Order: sequence, then C-alpha cells, then structure tokens
Amino acid sequence: MAAQPAKDTSTQELEQKQEWWWIAEKKRSKRLDYLRKAVWKKGALGGNYAPGIKVDLEIPQLFTNMWNFWRYDPPMLRRAKSMAHVLENMPIFITDHAQLVGYMGTLPHTLAWRVDGATMVNEELYNEPGVMPEPEQASLKRVADLNAYWAGNTAVDKLARVLDPEDAVKFLSGAIGWGAPTSAYGYSGKDYEFMFAQRHGFEDILDLIDQSIEKAEDLTMGNPGPEILPVYDRIQNWDAMKIMLNAAIAYARRYARLARILAEHYETDPKRKEELLRLAQTCENVPAKAPSTFQESLQYDHFVQILARLEAHEGAWPARPDYYHWPMYEKDVIKEKNITREEALDLVGEFMIRAYEVGGFGPRWAREGLQGITGTWVWTLGGVNKDGSDACNDLTLAFLQAARLVRVANPTFGFRWHPKVRDEVMREVFECIRHGLGYPSIRNDPLLIQNAMHWHGHPLEEARTWVHQACMSPCPTTKHGVQPMRMASATANCAKMVEYALHNGYDHVVQMQMGPKTGDARKFKTFDELFAAWTTQMKWLINTLVRTVNLGRYKDPEFYGRPFLSAISERAVESGLDVVSPVGDRGNCWVTGFTWVENADSLAAVKKLVFDEKRYTMDDLLNALENNWNGYEQMRRDFVNDAPKWGNDDDFVDGIMVRCLQEVAKHSREIKCPSGNSWPLLPENVSGNIHYSSIVGALPNGRRLGDALYDGGISPGPGLDKKGPSAVLKSCGKIDHVGDGRAFLLNQRLSPSQLAGEKGYQLWKAYIRTWADLGLDHVQFNMVSDETLRAAQKDPEKYQEVIVRVAGYSAHFVDISRKTQDNIIQRTVQGI
Amino acid sequence: MKCTECSFEAPVEKFRYLYNARIDASISLRQCPQCQAWLATDELAGEATQKVGPGEAPWGKSAGIEGLAEDAAS
Repeated sequence: MAAQPAKDTSTQELEQKQEWWWIAEKKRSKRLDYLRKAVWKKGALGGNYAPGIKVDLEIPQLFTNMWNFWRYDPPMLRRAKSMAHVLENMPIFITDHAQLVGYMGTLPHTLAWRVDGATMVNEELYNEPGVMPEPEQASLKRVADLNAYWAGNTAVDKLARVLDPEDAVKFLSGAIGWGAPTSAYGYSGKDYEFMFAQRHGFEDILDLIDQSIEKAEDLTMGNPGPEILPVYDRIQNWDAMKIMLNAAIAYARRYARLARILAEHYETDPKRKEELLRLAQTCENVPAKAPSTFQESLQYDHFVQILARLEAHEGAWPARPDYYHWPMYEKDVIKEKNITREEALDLVGEFMIRAYEVGGFGPRWAREGLQGITGTWVWTLGGVNKDGSDACNDLTLAFLQAARLVRVANPTFGFRWHPKVRDEVMREVFECIRHGLGYPSIRNDPLLIQNAMHWHGHPLEEARTWVHQACMSPCPTTKHGVQPMRMASATANCAKMVEYALHNGYDHVVQMQMGPKTGDARKFKTFDELFAAWTTQMKWLINTLVRTVNLGRYKDPEFYGRPFLSAISERAVESGLDVVSPVGDRGNCWVTGFTWVENADSLAAVKKLVFDEKRYTMDDLLNALENNWNGYEQMRRDFVNDAPKWGNDDDFVDGIMVRCLQEVAKHSREIKCPSGNSWPLLPENVSGNIHYSSIVGALPNGRRLGDALYDGGISPGPGLDKKGPSAVLKSCGKIDHVGDGRAFLLNQRLSPSQLAGEKGYQLWKAYIRTWADLGLDHVQFNMVSDETLRAAQKDPEKYQEVIVRVAGYSAHFVDISRKTQDNIIQRTVQGI
Repeated sequence: MKCTECSFEAPVEKFRYLYNARIDASISLRQCPQCQAWLATDELAGEATQKVGPGEAPWGKSAGIEGLAEDAAS
C-alpha cells in the first residue's frame, strides 16, 4: 500500500488532489481494508515477479504422480483422475476475515504452474530468480525431475509434432503472433446459462449425466454396428465428467470442514465464529446444489473459476456477475432483506479481491505483454436481458461502488452501454472512470449484438447474453455459443504486414524469409503495387496463424482436453464430447490484431511522400528503413509530421485505414474455423505494443526498431491525434463497426480537472452520446493527470495505488515498465 | 556523440538506441556503452543533451523529460 496514511486529510482535500486511493481506504469497511491489504500481488512488475512470490510445486507434483499412475487411461479420463487426486490432497487455506474461499495454489503467495502445458514454458522456471520455494536447491531438483518427466509430452510438444514444420518455425519465431494453440492456456467461456440461469448444481448435472450414460448403454446393448462405436468413447468422457464433479463437491466440502473446525475449536470472536459456520454451510451447499443465497451464488461462481484454473492456465475471466448473481442478490438484499446492502457490498468487494488474488506462472513474453497483471479478467456489466430490456440493476451499482472501494487492477469491467441505461447507472460508471481506475470500458451493446449476429450467426436472444471472452471480444454464455478455449482464436502482430510488404517478405529482425516474395519494393511504381503486396502479406500472415490454431483446436481433445469444463457445459454434458471439440460449437473465432494502426499510417506516409508528392523515392525510403532511420532524421520527421495520421478526421489516411480493414474483412469470410464460421479481425494490443517494440523493424510512420508501437486497436499514435477528441471519434466513425471487424479498441485520455464535478459528468455524457451516434463499439479512458503520473515515476513508493488503463486491461502504474509508462504519458490528453 | 556523464565519445549509433520520447520529435533515449547512463539525444544534431533520470528536467513529457510535448508542438 502507499507509504503514508492520510488520516488527517479531509475527503474533500483528497478529492481535489485526486488521491482516490486514500478516499477508498477511508470509506471501505474494516474487513475489506484487511482483505485488500492481505492479498498478494501476482502480476509481474514490468516482467518480473514481486519479491516473495513463489511457484507452487505441490499441485504439479500431485498431478504428475497420478498422471503417471493412470498412464493407460484415455486422455479425458486420465486427466480427470489426476485432477481429482489434486483436489483431494492439495493443502487449502482460509484467509482471516474472508467469507469466500478457493485458490488455485496451496498458499496465498504461490503461482499455479501448468506443468503439462508446454516444455518451453516449464524451462522458463529456471530463468526466474526468486520464484523457487525455499530451500531453493531442493525445489530446483523437483522442478528438474518434473520437467524431465514432461519434456516432449506436454500439450504444446504434442501439437508441435503434427504442425507443418515451416508453419511451426514461423509461428514459434515469435515475430508474427503469439499464444499457444491449446486449451492448456485457455480463455474458456463458462456456460453460465446452464449453471446459473437454468439453476444446475453439480448434483443436478450428475443426474443428467447418469441419464445420458443409461441411454448410451442401452444403445451399446442393441444391434452391433459402426454407429455405436463412438458411444463407448462418450461413456468414458461422461465418466470423466462425473469424476470431476464429485471431486469438486468433495473439494468444496474440505473447505466446509476446515471452516467448521476453525469455528468450533479455534475462533474466540463470536461474530467471526458465526461467519465461519455460515461459510461452512455455504461450501456444503455449493457447488453441489444450485445457490440459494447471495453468498452461495458468489461462492459457486468462484469455485467454478478456481476449478477451471486448476485444470488449465486461464488467461481471461469471461463473466457477467451483475446479471447471473442478481436473482440471489434481489432475494437476499431487496425482497427478503436477509442481509443489508453494506453486507452485500462487502461480499462484492471480496469477490473482486479473490479474483485479484489469482495468479499463474507465465513465460516472460506473456508477462511483458500483460505487465502488472496475470490475465485479462474483464467482467461484463450492464447490457440487456434476453428480451432486450435494460439489465442494469442494483447489483450493477454495487459492483461499480465496490470497485472504487477495493481498487484492484484485476478484474476490471466492460460496461455494455445502450440507450436505455438509467442516468443513475451512468453516474456510477463515470465515478469509476473519474477515480482513475481506467474502467469500465464502454461497449456499444446494440451494435455489438448486431455484430455477433453478423459475423457468427448467433441468434438474437443468445447474442444478448454476451460477455467479454477476453479483453474485448464478445461471446455468448449459451450452450452452442460458449467458446471453450482462447486458441480457438489467433493473435497477429499486424505491423509485420506492412514491414514484409516493403521487404519482399523478409524479416530483418529475426533474419528469415517469413512471408511470400511479393517483389522488390524499390521497384514499385505505384501505391497500388505496394497495397497489393500488403494484401498478400496480410493474407499469408493471418492464414499461417489460423491454420495453426485450427489444427490445435481440432487435436485438443486428444492432446489436452477439459473434463471439468466439459462437466459444466450443457453441450458436452448432453453429447458426451469434450467441450473443446469444435462439434456443437457455433464458432466465435476472431483474429486479435496487435499493432494494427501502424499499417494505415505507414501506407499513408508512403503514398503521400513517395507516390503522390514524389519528395522521396522508394530507394530513399528503403535505405532509411534498413538503417533504422539512423542518419535520416530530417526525413524521418517528414514522414511523421508531413504525412497525415489516423485520428485527425483526415480522409486521406482514414480512407486507407478503411480499405485495409475491408480487405481483411473480405478475407475473414473466406477462411473458416473448425466449426465452419468466420474469422473477423479485432484490433487491440494489451501491452503487446511494448513486447513487439524490439521485434518490429523500422516503419514508414517514423518509428524505429525499439520504439513502442501505438497503444493499439484503432487508437491513434500517442501524441499524433492533434485535432481534438471529435476528430478522433470521426475518424473511428468511418469504420463500419459491424461489417469491418469484430470489435475495435479505442484508448482516450481525458483531463481530470476538466471533468470534475457535475459539469464534468455532463461533458462526458455528451461525449458518450457522440461516440454512440458515430457507431463506435468501444472506448476506454485514462483520467489521471500527467503530473500525477510523473510524480509516480519519481516517487513510486508514494503512488503504489495509482491505476492506469494500459490497453484492454488496467494495471497499477508502478507495476509496468518505464517504457510502458512513458508510452501512456505520451498519449494526448483530450479536452472535451 | 559525447556522453554528458562520463565524456565517452563515439559515433551516435554506438550508443544503444532505447526508444523515442515522442515519435514526432527528434528526442530519443540512448544508452552510453561505457557508463550505461540513459541519455536524452537530439537525433537531428547527433548530440547527447543530458542524462535522463526520474528527476525534473526541462523537456519531454515523462518524468525527467518534461516539456517535450510543448517542444514538439512548437
């Protein structure tokens, strides 16, 4: 926490100084204050874990022991039995004052290690000083033994053997994309409709599975024929799901027992004793049965998320808590008044803290790409009900209020704005932004529902259930809509498209022929020749990524598989297929477009200065780029300052942006995911703009190798949007946010002093109205002044709690690298 | 180029390029190969202007390089 408490400073004074973290500390309950301060920060500081954070070796050891023991079992059954062993034997703990339990490690300061995911990640453990539990030598020996067992046998190792060798080398070069196409590292959607809307506890699901097994067994007793052969596999899959569900119920009841032991034998405070007994009752009831109280509802959800994270390394947290927990909140807080609103707010705050606590070990490239956090936990709030009516409720307000009290950087919120949102809700949204949280991001609900129907054919009612699958991408929470793994999707380093178009497909950074040979750019005589080369490189890059992840998806039930996730997914429970199978999935894939805007700005600069005005030749340009602009500073400045830049309502460059997007959209409809659906582009960055700064070569927009790329999505280059916020919105409004791609991230910085008070709120509300009228699907704000950010750079100890929006996520400012900090400060502060 | 901290002298490209302070200005950050100091560098003149640290400075936008935005706009 920050260095000096502000006991003697008035709230009003703190508000004037915009030191919102002190206000939070003054306003939150003693319980929330304790829980917030007791939690271990798992996000990497820049790229390094904080002192004291250790990798958990107990769970990988338990898992590996059983995995070896059941080596003759089919994949799903083997994983289920191994996981059940973990759940039965892993040490558990209850944090003092906590009312919710469950963690994916055996101690609060540990990071989960997905030992069976990828050898290249396992080997990274050796490169991280300080993360080994003491005694270090003994831990290193355990790690070496585990790595020796898994080397060549992890999910990624298995997949690498079946990939096209050339694709594999290019994919693994790290130059054109990132991620591992396996559900071992997933963004798994949860079938909330099945669990919460239809009110299925795990015992109910066990009954459904038993009925399915009974029917299947009847089938196998009938006349022999090839059609019954798959049924045998499905029966084994159902058995695996049952093992997981029973193990999960038993795991929850271990918490119940621990809570009861603490209450009956150790706790002296009668109030806490009562809480522990309530916690015990809660864990006896859920997840076995559907929740019957608000606390049970939150606990059920948290158990599901933790269990899924024990099964796979999950990089995101698709959830819609104000919608799915509303029935129990309404019952307990509004109708029956079993708990007060303040008590409910405590539970909501703790629910967020328990999520913030979650952390898994990630390789350096992932930590650099997601500085300050361990995954993009973007929870969805607001939106509409299945009938189109406003879904915002008092729990929506409670989440927005609790966020300001606990001030965690993860989870964050994405708010589904629509025209019927009440002013009371908009004010709470604005307060979170004004308090410098950087969230909620604002999403255009009607437009994104239309987009979901356009690209993936989700029926209207299902499209209306959408949640953020990761930072940005909408996905329904329904039987056929839910998406079981992140690497149903691909992530492209798009700046390479223009780089390869200029260098005949050759990558001067990794020194390899990557893309197709599209011709020597020095000989290009027209812009259309360059654009044709760009289109070819774009198609090649996307195709390489997509066919790699398509294969990964197809092979995933064999190479990894998710028995627990299957057990909580209606389509898997019904079919007996592993939920990661593309069968039964409608298909909701997208290509995440990192470093996208550099294409438009670079192409526009070449068109204007080389082909239109002929101030420079292609020879001049290629010489400058090959020298990383060294010795060409005046020319570099011309390419930055004399060429139009995206975000200034300039049709010259905006037209090129739209043309590029339409080329991708056309291609997106031609390529297919394993479920047969399209692959639209979704430009956004997380902090990949920093990660790729040393991988993307010099570009015609004036960027050198080493410089941060733009901050992503369709956000203008930092400091290059010189014509004000309306011009930014107008540029972005030229894109068809339904037909040109899946979603488009827009970062904006607003002045906190301008947006103070009622006048500030009205200004912001008018801005949002313009944003909506222009048909944009996303916008998110940083509202922390340059002065505060600079002060935090100089004296980080004093500003530990300053939060900023990096890209699709928020982070504590002091946890991100200096380069990322500088990149955020460079963004233009817009006056509206 | 001459390091403002240790006076090491070499062609500008021998000073490791780190990143720009702003894409639309000629100020970048380079690192002295001898004393490892981060140096604010005027790329047009090929000169090291000053050491970059977390303290106040007369140009730039981030801490230690305040004022660069104004410089770029002018």
